[in-house]
Amino acid sequence: MTAVSAFLVPGSPLHLLRPDNPPWRPIVAGFERAARALAMSRPDAVLLYSTQWIAVLDALWQARPRLTGAHVDENWHDLGDMAFDIRVDTDLAEACVNAVKAAGISSKSVDYDQFPIDSGTIVATRLLDPDSRFPLVIAANNLYHDAATTMRMAEIATATARVQNKKVAVVGVGGLSGTVFREPIAIAEDRVAAEKDDSWNRRILRLLEKGETGRLDAEVDDYAREARVDMGFKHLAWIRGAIGGRFFGARVHGYGPAHGAGAAVIEFRL
Amino acid sequence: MANGEIVAGFLAPHPPHLVYGENPPQNEPKSEGGWEPLRWAYERARESLDQLQPDVLLVHSPHWITQVGHHFLGVRHLSGKSVDPIFPNLFRYTFELEVDVELAEACCEKAAQRGLTAMMMRNPKFRVDYGTITTLHMIRPQWDIPIVGISANNSPYYLTTEEGLDEMDTLGKATREAIEATGRRAVLLASNTLCHWHFHEEPDTPEDMSREHPQSYDGYKWDMRMIELLRQGKTAEVFRLLPQFIDEAFAEVKSGAFTWMFAAMGYPELPGELHGYGTVIGTGNAVMEWNLVKAGLAGAAVPPSAAGGRESYAGAMR
Ligand SMILES: [Fe+2]
Repeated sequence: MTAVSAFLVPGSPLHLLRPDNPPWRPIVAGFERAARALAMSRPDAVLLYSTQWIAVLDALWQARPRLTGAHVDENWHDLGDMAFDIRVDTDLAEACVNAVKAAGISSKSVDYDQFPIDSGTIVATRLLDPDSRFPLVIAANNLYHDAATTMRMAEIATATARVQNKKVAVVGVGGLSGTVFREPIAIAEDRVAAEKDDSWNRRILRLLEKGETGRLDAEVDDYAREARVDMGFKHLAWIRGAIGGRFFGARVHGYGPAHGAGAAVIEFRL
Repeated sequence: MANGEIVAGFLAPHPPHLVYGENPPQNEPKSEGGWEPLRWAYERARESLDQLQPDVLLVHSPHWITQVGHHFLGVRHLSGKSVDPIFPNLFRYTFELEVDVELAEACCEKAAQRGLTAMMMRNPKFRVDYGTITTLHMIRPQWDIPIVGISANNSPYYLTTEEGLDEMDTLGKATREAIEATGRRAVLLASNTLCHWHFHEEPDTPEDMSREHPQSYDGYKWDMRMIELLRQGKTAEVFRLLPQFIDEAFAEVKSGAFTWMFAAMGYPELPGELHGYGTVIGTGNAVMEWNLVKAGLAGAAVPPSAAGGRESYAGAMR
């Protein structure tokens, strides 16, 4: 068993802060279904990677036992703050740091009061696990890591959990297409900003649904470039690394816009 | 109120290492020093700022990134603990600052009038970014001058560098109009590193200066070329070269602060005063000043006894 469940979810604050906005309902509803699936899979820990937690020196892993507070997004501050209460599986996190380091990827844990927790991590944990039932291992997106390194890290993290006899769920937090509206819009009219992005997103979602990993591998780089995918879709690499590359299809629980960008809640069939 | 003016602009980069090296009481981690030449450069800049007696410090920071528009801090009092997400081992700083909301609102309004998307940040729980805080600490550790904090819209990255920097130019012009219209005596702070090629691993003792050096010789040569032009006041030439410099030296000035500041000052062909240069984890950092008072382009500070108008303004801020 590599992982008991796996999800790709968006990290935009919009869906958490304005869940009733009609164009954002499909994502919010998708999160509700994914949250039920996550709970049913009963993980001992959740391995989460967020494109919005940016690192540049090492691979960073959160190792503070409990993270609480209220975060205000840099861009969406007018929509209010996001309270969070996150528990970290520090044993597993520290073991991941050591194992990833041993594999030759410079790695560090962070354990600091008031360390800035990114919006994506908060949105995903609030919407996937509203009661904070599952402890997390949270990894940063090092800008210099490619998809292969990201996959390798997730693979090592899953193997490390196995050594500790822990069942893990895997979560990759990030968006799909990246063309956004750069000026304020009437949020009730939000949509995926570029038609080309929308068709790319739908095409990739179909490949994921059917589990066509071969075609996915062939197309994912073009998709990432042409549709300006959030961080080159490294959040998918994280998931695929953790689940051993293959999966048997996926359920798209929700697809929609985030101020023009593409977003989807996806559950992988393992 | 009218007749405000910009009295100086500073290139004022924000490596948190400089705060760490200084060991101010606000910062939790303690060091054995380090990066002295750059910290001494800031000492000279501090003295100069002191003489300028500005009403307000405006800072444009690459670490407050916004996608929808250019944002301005719009809460009078902000406080908290700022932890650097890249260097949390070096920078955990307790801050308290006062915002000149009236000027911030004027900047926002003028930017909107010039066609930019511009917004006020009114959320009192907002976490001020570590770039803003580091630059402000290094230039004025007393924290006794109100500030205006401006976000870095991601346009130079999302659009092309040239399109993005065009927006920053407009933002600078709007900032100048707002300063003039509100009667402020203002200092601009461009919170930017030059060459941004950096090490990928931190030395075990970060302040061990035997390990500090430029990451890239080509980047270093670019920095020297640009600084030399700036010292000669060849501003037009600097801006002609800027996109190439950004590309080849991965320069942080891409984020816009430098362009914003020069646009606000009207791109004077004025020799900049280099207070010092040094590398931090391999990146190139210059502390430079364009003193418009010394150049005769702005008025000198009025002695306190005669400063009726400014005193009443400063009083209103407290
Ligand atoms: Fe920076």
